[in-house]
Amino acid sequence: MRTLRLVGVAWWLQLKMRSRSAFDGLLSLLYPGFFATTIFMMFKQGDAAGPALLSAAVGSSAMGIWSAVSTTAAFALQMERRQGTLELLVLAPQPFALLLVPLTLSMATIGAYSMIATLLWGRLAFGIHLTIADPLGFLVAVVVTVFAIGMLGMLIAISSIRYRFAWALGSAIEMPVWLICGFLVAVSDLPAWVRPLSAVLSPTWGVAAMRAAANGQSPWADLGWCVLTAASYGLVAMFVSRWMVHSARAHATLALS
Amino acid sequence: MNSLRIFFIGGLTSYRALFHWLSPWILVPTFLLTPLFQIFLFVYIGRTAGISDDRFFLIGNAVVNAAVPCLFAMGNTIGGERNTGTLPLLIASPAKRVPLFLGRALPVIVNGFLVAVFALITGSLLLRVDIPPATWGGIAVAIAACSISCTGLGLLGAAVALRVRETAVMSNIVLGILIVFAGVNVPVGAMPGWMQVVAGWLPMTHGIRATHDLAAGAALTDVAGTLLAELGLGALYAGLGLALLRWFEYESRARATLDTA
Amino acid sequence: MVRVTEPVIEVDGLARTFRSRKGLIRRSSKEIEAVRGVSFAVERGELFGLLGPNGAGKTTTIKMLITLLLPTGGRARVLGHDVVAQAHAVRRKVGYVFGGDRGLYERLSGLDNLRYFAELYGVPARESKQRVGELLELVGLAGREKERVEGYSRGMRQRLHIARGLLHRPEVLFLDEPSIGIDPVGARELRATVRNLVETGTTVLLTTHYMFEADELCDRIAVIARGRIVALDTPSELKQKVTTGTVLEIDVFGVPDGVVEKVRAEPDVLSVSVDVQGQAEVLTVHARPGTDVTQAVMGHLDGSRFGRVITRQPTLEDAYIELVNAA
Repeated sequence: MRTLRLVGVAWWLQLKMRSRSAFDGLLSLLYPGFFATTIFMMFKQGDAAGPALLSAAVGSSAMGIWSAVSTTAAFALQMERRQGTLELLVLAPQPFALLLVPLTLSMATIGAYSMIATLLWGRLAFGIHLTIADPLGFLVAVVVTVFAIGMLGMLIAISSIRYRFAWALGSAIEMPVWLICGFLVAVSDLPAWVRPLSAVLSPTWGVAAMRAAANGQSPWADLGWCVLTAASYGLVAMFVSRWMVHSARAHATLALS
Repeated sequence: MNSLRIFFIGGLTSYRALFHWLSPWILVPTFLLTPLFQIFLFVYIGRTAGISDDRFFLIGNAVVNAAVPCLFAMGNTIGGERNTGTLPLLIASPAKRVPLFLGRALPVIVNGFLVAVFALITGSLLLRVDIPPATWGGIAVAIAACSISCTGLGLLGAAVALRVRETAVMSNIVLGILIVFAGVNVPVGAMPGWMQVVAGWLPMTHGIRATHDLAAGAALTDVAGTLLAELGLGALYAGLGLALLRWFEYESRARATLDTA
Repeated sequence: MVRVTEPVIEVDGLARTFRSRKGLIRRSSKEIEAVRGVSFAVERGELFGLLGPNGAGKTTTIKMLITLLLPTGGRARVLGHDVVAQAHAVRRKVGYVFGGDRGLYERLSGLDNLRYFAELYGVPARESKQRVGELLELVGLAGREKERVEGYSRGMRQRLHIARGLLHRPEVLFLDEPSIGIDPVGARELRATVRNLVETGTTVLLTTHYMFEADELCDRIAVIARGRIVALDTPSELKQKVTTGTVLEIDVFGVPDGVVEKVRAEPDVLSVSVDVQGQAEVLTVHARPGTDVTQAVMGHLDGSRFGRVITRQPTLEDAYIELVNAA
């Protein structure tokens, strides 16, 4: 209960802070829109229609959730370090990984705003009418995906405590995850060696669930996998963060000075 | 002579000091991996969308990545000075503005050029897209033209940064606009009329088109006009940037609006 | 009644070495000994000062005590918990406040900052609101709490910092150069706040390089220089140690080369320092008790232009300078 309250309050305040920032708030909303626009244009050019276009619309709108998390998760702790609050987070008598959950969850929430914006944009500019067969399933799938992507972001954020340049790696994995997790390209169309990687990445299951719900199939099995993979990230993060914080204390990388 | 010194030495120093991306931890993911991932992403999306033209996506996405250093490093020359608190010193210095800023542009242009060339070569090898050796020289010229013109736009961005704080946000938005409009993933000819007009005024559009033509076997002389248009746009943006810098500098002294904090 | 005899902070031979690496291919590493084995103990309810120049190792010592840095040598216990093995237990009971304007979320209001950290530091939900209100009152920010921190003055930020550090009612509060960059009025209010805390039973460890701050506040002071404690006593005892002997101060316009060395070589001179003040350089000479070095020093300055010449009794600051210079 306490943990839930901690995550809830911290998430709300982080969200408040982020939406006041041009980079985290405005850009996270706009940037995926450029990619979505290009992709909508490509599908129109290729004369896509019906389920293919719907699938593209779902995928490209969900891109924003990952985009908001991947580019900012690794940068967020750099910001905390710069403003001198990273030390205060480490000092808090809570598992460090737990404190990062509201952080990355707030980024994913901003990503969810961009999802709505992209869907509206697709409808207004490209006339893509989104008819969702199972609205409740779709909504649950979006919420679970936001959570799962937030958890993946937490893993990235943790790696950045020790490595100051992790933000560059964070930005670099934006596009590979779009590709590998089947946001726009069916995972079965990717080379065989990539597929195991897709399977362990929670966004793969989240996007599959959204698509299933939109098409009127059952999203629940995919959602189960999504939650399972995300929960395993939490477990990994707990252990890794303990080691990382210890290492940061040994190497004095928590503060700027 | 002094102007030459400011041009070369000052430019390189500021590039290294302000744009501290010269660590391999940043260099490799930002300039080598991301362009490749972008190429693969759009090649695969193209296949899914029913446009199987790997070479088209390879060229567009490789070349457009030259814009990343050009826009960000150049746009950051003012923002970075402000962050380190050296902006007033720069403004107060007696150095001539044109060599000062053009000097900052040179390493950036080289950086952009190398990023695009690496992405193109590696991408073509990985995707097994054939680009005949006879076309390489011409393509290099086209990529250089793109890097120069984008840096011109970056210089305009640097000038705007005297007034706008969030340079990184601005550079990202410009990059997004280039990806949509410059014919990177959708040929300009397939766009609605108003988008074609916008595309014509952007750097990259002409250079990417020239690169496509060159790769398809056109001679450098055939695309000379297109490349000149590309360079002309770059000069136009750079000129606007320098003029704006001068005006902002004058204004900020007159009205004490120089945002140096 | 049980008497607590165990000190609140016990530091024994604590040391910390930093290794900095340079270069990518040919890596050269350099070792810097920031703290070279310090030992001291702080009793419950005491206000203990760590006084020293910049880079003396004050912050590094504090960071080891609050579990942000691992020591590379020695041991330390805070409230009976080892700072390495029982870091979690230490964190629950200590507060940390540092100077300067960092360590706050600029885009949030003062109130939201406190709410956020109250959650993080495990303040029970039903207490949280009341505690935040109390602290805003204590640090004099009530009424301004809804404004964003980016609009706060340095003094306001510092007071917000203190409120944050006190949220979870820490038994020990670590204040790292809290008065840096605050105007004199703000600094005086800050000292009053700190004194109040000690009166209500909080143990405080304060670092500062301001002499008068340490003098006014601290029960005991450890003077730290180059990573070592060079003196540890009450402020009045520290003064006692050097109130024998006199201090000669001469304003010189341009001290000639080599003069400082010549003066230092005088048999009755204990130490010499030069300070630039405006156009003049102030030559401060500590003489051996019962001697007068004025003539000898003036002899060395023959041909230089000088102004004010005074002889006075040493202050705590002189004691401090002497201790630090001797280190």
